[in-house]
Amino acid sequence: MTTDAGSVTPLRILIADDNQTDRMILNAILTRQGHEVIMAEDGAQAVEAFEQQRPQMVLLDVLMPNMDGLEAARRIKAAAGEDLVPIIFLTSLSDAESLASCLEVGGDDFLSKPYNRVILRAKINAFQRMRDLHQSLQQERDRTDQRNRQMMREQALARRVFDNIADRGCLGADNIRFEASPMSIFNGDVLFASPKPSGGMHLFVGDFTGHGLPAAIGALPMSEIFYGMTAKGFAIGDILKEINRKLCNILPTGFFCCAAMVDLNLRSGHAEVWNGGLPTAWILRHDGTRDELRSRHLPLGILSAERFSAACERHTLALGEHMLLATDGVIESSNREGELFGEERAIAAINQRSGPHGGFECLREAVHRFGEGVVSEDDITILDLAMVPESALNTVEHEVLPDTGAGPEQWRLQYDLEDRTLARFNPVPLLLHVCMDVPGLRLCSGDVYTIIAELFTNALEHGVLRLPSGLKDSPSGFSRYYSERERLLGQLASGWVSITLSHRPHDDGAGGTLLVTVADSGPGFDPGETASSLDHERLSGRGIALVQTLCHDVRWNSTGNRVEAEYIWRAG
Amino acid sequence: MSEHQHIDHDALAELRDVMEDEFVILVNTFLQDADDRLEQLRAGAASEDAEEVRKMAHSFKGSCINIGAPELAERCRTAEQRGRYGDLSDIHDCISAIEAELGAVRQELAHFRDG
Amino acid sequence: MSITTERSGDGSELTIRIEGRFDFSSHQAFRHAYEGEGQGVSRYVIDMRDTTYLDSSALGMLLLLRDYAGGEKADVRIINCNGDVRRILTVSNFEQLFQIDD
Repeated sequence: MTTDAGSVTPLRILIADDNQTDRMILNAILTRQGHEVIMAEDGAQAVEAFEQQRPQMVLLDVLMPNMDGLEAARRIKAAAGEDLVPIIFLTSLSDAESLASCLEVGGDDFLSKPYNRVILRAKINAFQRMRDLHQSLQQERDRTDQRNRQMMREQALARRVFDNIADRGCLGADNIRFEASPMSIFNGDVLFASPKPSGGMHLFVGDFTGHGLPAAIGALPMSEIFYGMTAKGFAIGDILKEINRKLCNILPTGFFCCAAMVDLNLRSGHAEVWNGGLPTAWILRHDGTRDELRSRHLPLGILSAERFSAACERHTLALGEHMLLATDGVIESSNREGELFGEERAIAAINQRSGPHGGFECLREAVHRFGEGVVSEDDITILDLAMVPESALNTVEHEVLPDTGAGPEQWRLQYDLEDRTLARFNPVPLLLHVCMDVPGLRLCSGDVYTIIAELFTNALEHGVLRLPSGLKDSPSGFSRYYSERERLLGQLASGWVSITLSHRPHDDGAGGTLLVTVADSGPGFDPGETASSLDHERLSGRGIALVQTLCHDVRWNSTGNRVEAEYIWRAG
Repeated sequence: MSEHQHIDHDALAELRDVMEDEFVILVNTFLQDADDRLEQLRAGAASEDAEEVRKMAHSFKGSCINIGAPELAERCRTAEQRGRYGDLSDIHDCISAIEAELGAVRQELAHFRDG
Repeated sequence: MSITTERSGDGSELTIRIEGRFDFSSHQAFRHAYEGEGQGVSRYVIDMRDTTYLDSSALGMLLLLRDYAGGEKADVRIINCNGDVRRILTVSNFEQLFQIDD
């Protein structure tokens, strides 16, 4: 006996056919392909042989005495349980009715007469691949179950750590109500609220893709950034950018956080809103209407810092008006019939609001009623904010403001840049960052930036590089000026700029004075001669005039290579 | 295939290739089996058992296709259809036609087997 | 810093959007943004919704655009300025030269 070349892993195959000639032919084909063959002459024998010898594949004739092929197939499939045992019916393809019943009882394929060894081999190979896949899927599933149990234990631990660390902020404030129902041990939703040093508050609602681990990875640094930066007076845009940057760094591709952030300014009655991927939020107006706060951005953790936009929408809220935000667990929660709650039902629920029974209560009750008796599949978070007079929140803000005033208020810093570093490095962002640690000064960051940037640029370009400002007076000169600047910087071998910053707070605690001194290695100039002006349309010479407008006082030394600018700011 | 040809020589050659040493046994088994089927067909026809006729003709047809006797298979199919529709009026003619064709097939098979 | 442009449907309006710090390092990109658009633009919109700061050279660049767009007859609007940017524009009296919408 020879064996066909190229046969695959041997299988144990059961052949059931009442026709001896057909059995012999199949047996010969399969044996020569290397398989082990078990033979049965009718349906009853086939079932018995299957139970005793557990073949991995079955070839069944349809018409057989003592139990036909259909009944035998049904019993064999039942006896196989979770194992995948392909059944190939031996029948001619001409009989559509019998084909249908073969499929009904779990038949996987057909083989028609005359038997062809090439086709039979191809079918067996295909099933073998299917079997292998099925087996590895089963093994994978068992492994996954085990890992899942371990992950749940780890998540429970992470949750305890998170609860110990994470700040509840001012979620207890009188103008905030919220509902958070975690589906997994580690909630995929996050909810932060923190008072701002300048009054008002920041709020953040986030929904991580998936549950558990991604949320566990992302939530902690996110909470640190949110509370830390808010306490230091950073603006909503800066905080969003920082959170986005952090999530891009730590989350695996494909994981991100749908989020909305609100800067609630109680004094002016404004709210700045950024929505990236959360469902449409609403402002509920006194007159019964509502404004929609649609998602305008991609979720956090997707776009690189260069492409990320923290642009917010500004809305005005009258006293007592509410803003309602929710994660998609709300509109995607389902009832017993498998229908989704949906935006329409949410809006209908909110429109039921009257008097003290507000939109928040109406929405919360509607979602719960809708999902009664159904195990929630997603985290549900609803946040309700009310515009209230600032005085109404004083107690809360003072309780949770340990960080206010923690930054340095009285200090002096000298920063010298020399030679090649001067050509390559822009010190302005770094120096601005230092100034922004002064409690309250962040609110004047634009002024501080302009003062430092203009004085540094002036020292570098006109002092060290000795570029004539007049060059910039025509469009072509403007370009020439900057290419000349680049050329000179490229060959700069020596030179320096020294920047000194010092700050002292005012006695009343409401502001301070920032002194910016910039000196350079240039020969100096006559400030009177190059007096800059803001009054006409010259393309250049505006920088110093800008600084003079912003500052209380700007003084040059007699040689004109050292300037001192005094900036007085007041909080609020 | 000409109408005088009772067996498909290509199919049979392929089968000999598959069966190797067992080819002779296979042919003998087929012929023995065919006699049995024919007997059972006659018995079914005599007792006017249409279902029995159908089953026997169907099974016989299958082995004819496999062994490469298409004309014989076709005649079995005719008998199987009579059984399926319960119309046994000309079943004896059908069986005689099968018997005649089987005789021709037997001769050619024996020739192929022994050649 | 990044600069993106968008032409209106009829091509007559060009919106230039500046993201991040608008300073001297943007001068080439900013110039390309309007000079690269070819004919047919009669109105310019500078969208500053994502502009964090601007310095005096950015003011110069805005004036260059104004010049390019026809000087006194130029139709250049500056929109969506944040508080810091708005303050610099105000301090520089740019309201007299440009239409500034918040």
